[in-house]
Amino acid sequence: MSSPLRLNFSKFPEGGLLIVILVLGILLSVFGGEVQRPKMIQGADGQWTRAMEKDASGQEVPAFVKVNNFFNAETLTQIAKDTSFFAIMAVGVTCVIITAGIDLSIGSVYALAAVCGAMFMSQFGADAGPWAAVGGVLVTVAVSFICGALNGVMIVAFNLHPFIITLGTMAIYRGIAFVLTNGQSIGGFPQGFRDFVRQGVIGDLSLVPLIVMILVCIVGAIFLSRMVVGRQVYAIGGNEVASRYSGIRVARVKLLVYVIGGVTAGIAAVLALGYYGAASSGDGQGYELTVIAGAVVGGASLFGGKGSALGAVLGAIILQMIATGIVIIGIPQSYSQIVTGVVVITAVLLDQFNRWISDRRLLAQTAHAKKEAVETTNPPVPVK
Amino acid sequence: MPFLTVEHITKFFPGVRALDDVSVQFEKGSVHALMGENGAGKSTLGKIIGGIYTPDQGTISIDGREVRPTDPLTAQKLGVAIVHQELVFCPNLSIAENLQLGTMPANRGFVERRQLRERAQSLMSEIGVDIDVNTLIAELTTGQEQMVQIAAAVGINANIIIFDEPTSSLSVNETKHLFDLIGRLKARGTTMIYVSHRMEEIFQIADTVTVLRDGRHVATEAIAETNRERLIRQMVGRDVLIQRPKHLDLKPGEEVLRVENLSSMGQFENVSFSVCRNEIVGMAGLVGAGRTAVAKAVFGLDKRETGNVYIKGKRLILGNVNRSMRERVGYLPEDRKKEGLVLMMNISDNVSLPHLGTFSRFGFVDERRELAEVEKLTKRLRVKAPSLESVTAGLSGGNQQKVAIAKWLARTCDLLIVDEPTRGVDVGAKAEIYQLLDEVACQGVAILMISSELPELLSLSRRIIAMREGFVTGELPYEQFSQESVLNLMA
Repeated sequence: MSSPLRLNFSKFPEGGLLIVILVLGILLSVFGGEVQRPKMIQGADGQWTRAMEKDASGQEVPAFVKVNNFFNAETLTQIAKDTSFFAIMAVGVTCVIITAGIDLSIGSVYALAAVCGAMFMSQFGADAGPWAAVGGVLVTVAVSFICGALNGVMIVAFNLHPFIITLGTMAIYRGIAFVLTNGQSIGGFPQGFRDFVRQGVIGDLSLVPLIVMILVCIVGAIFLSRMVVGRQVYAIGGNEVASRYSGIRVARVKLLVYVIGGVTAGIAAVLALGYYGAASSGDGQGYELTVIAGAVVGGASLFGGKGSALGAVLGAIILQMIATGIVIIGIPQSYSQIVTGVVVITAVLLDQFNRWISDRRLLAQTAHAKKEAVETTNPPVPVK
Repeated sequence: MPFLTVEHITKFFPGVRALDDVSVQFEKGSVHALMGENGAGKSTLGKIIGGIYTPDQGTISIDGREVRPTDPLTAQKLGVAIVHQELVFCPNLSIAENLQLGTMPANRGFVERRQLRERAQSLMSEIGVDIDVNTLIAELTTGQEQMVQIAAAVGINANIIIFDEPTSSLSVNETKHLFDLIGRLKARGTTMIYVSHRMEEIFQIADTVTVLRDGRHVATEAIAETNRERLIRQMVGRDVLIQRPKHLDLKPGEEVLRVENLSSMGQFENVSFSVCRNEIVGMAGLVGAGRTAVAKAVFGLDKRETGNVYIKGKRLILGNVNRSMRERVGYLPEDRKKEGLVLMMNISDNVSLPHLGTFSRFGFVDERRELAEVEKLTKRLRVKAPSLESVTAGLSGGNQQKVAIAKWLARTCDLLIVDEPTRGVDVGAKAEIYQLLDEVACQGVAILMISSELPELLSLSRRIIAMREGFVTGELPYEQFSQESVLNLMA
């Protein structure tokens, strides 16, 4: 019997993550304290300017408003923007992880795709028309597609563990990016492209990455839960042999998930190009770990068969909230990596504990059911 | 006074009560056989004594003292060792190293190689086995490996040794060797528990026999006071009433499967046979005879075979599961947990897995249609589960097997290959599965049934094909069916 008050976590496993986010948000709001921010007003021409006020002596001074250190529009959009890049990739990597695979090259794919797109667009200069931007986006996504496909092809063809292959390509892709750029940063993209990605600005922040993240999450969720291939992704992670015996084209599905992983890195790269306006071969260093951590915190099991797109996004949000929280609460920045590491391990332990409990409940249920079944059937006839 | 006593042992597994209030006494220096059908709980009892499982209820006492072997290591300290049927050693290390893994003779962290070898040598000669102790475990046959396991048991001064289906993959010669060894251990006063379902062996070596059925103790008797028929009756309990299957009254229809000179290196050679509509053809043979390999080849899971397979007269290009499935071939694998089901998925996901294409539109799963279809099937097969969303890992063996079968009934097959369809399934589910297979055959499906249970083969098949060591040794029509005639062909 389940009480109506208890959340049904078996139907909505991401509920726990939402609660964690809520609790984190409340804690950060309460303990973050207040901070003074310059007061801005929007003029008739739509321009934002500093608001002025008269102080006690009647002089004009810049006005300030007190805002909560965490719960204010700027911090929240900042988190949303920072999360977007990781969350988009986490959705892709979750697909890979559900098949019991792993993609360590995701940060390098991000860098290589960004660099290629940057090199393409910078040829046309800042005044180029929209076609240059469209071309740049296509190049970036195409490169990431090829990188993902290469990962997949090698994993399937050589039948090697994805850890090995993507560990190799992690170095190779970044190396190619370095060779292409000579280690230089590349900028000078069409202004229209940059404006597009940065529009909807609050202060200096844009909502476009957030919107793209939500779109990727929705598409990922539909792919995994509604489509035939999505079902097959889970099946392969749950039991590859049984999947093959059921006629699933395992190699094809595996290839597909690595392509998806690569393309999500490409989408993130497109956003980064527009947002930061430059790319270099050193971009996205170490992103693979943050992304995988996000996926795992979001409920993906490294043993395969478990995970969801929404979980990946929520996991990435939790990690970003913690990173931001460290700054807000005033813990020295240098501790941030340690805290992140502790959080990842704790999250996975909690998940294990949760699974242990549900396993025990299942055991108790079936033992009970069996007992009833045994008692209702005839007792064995003694043999003379 | 008995040397080893187990009292009121009860053990639950997810979905099954494996043992139910079992009490047995074992005498010193004797061979005590534990018998029962698959799933009767005999292996579980052996493993509980050996510390691999802990009982949920009940006590174990050795030499009058109550003990609690919570893991294999504590069991070993109590003098209990298990000889497993599967690999327990590190295959990449030598016999000598494996025999002393925990007690490696060393001097300041460096292995004393000579001492290591000599100690192993003395253990091996103690049980009278002559194998070079520097041989890697990977290079041994299963039989030799078992000898090493016994040597290890002697090495820890075990006075209770449990043999878990030791002969299931041994050759005749190796079996003889093993029995000699058991005789010698008996003379030393070792208590041996011999888990098996092979009747002949029991009468050869056991002193006492205990029969279990559905996790319950049925009888413990001296071997001299019982006989084969009596044991069978005890094991089966009520007679499993297999009614005369209805498909036998139909005339076999069109030939669905024809296999011609099919060979696969090291697996089977020159296999030829055919299966028609409305027919269940049994395949008999010992483990390793190549029956499963043939089935897998027909289903497209083997890429190296040569020869021809025809489905409804059309030559099937082998080595591709999807091509075989397109010709409406279905395959129920012998190991439902490893090959048949995705245990972490629910019933409906498992059943629809091979046919997702038919339940979908534009690549999206049509869940309403899927659920409706699965519900029809699970009702027909009488799968007992809380709901279709129940995870298959939590179902009992019989219900899991029904789900695995349902996978191939979701779309009509022309040829259904079932590999050990009732392995590890309780008596009730067994009868239901028999009835179902008969029903399916009557509907015009050709069924090839691989089974290691003779009664099953004899009562359900129209013809029996026997295999031995990769060759088809003969084919028996219904009129010539008898235990002896099949056994002659397969062993």
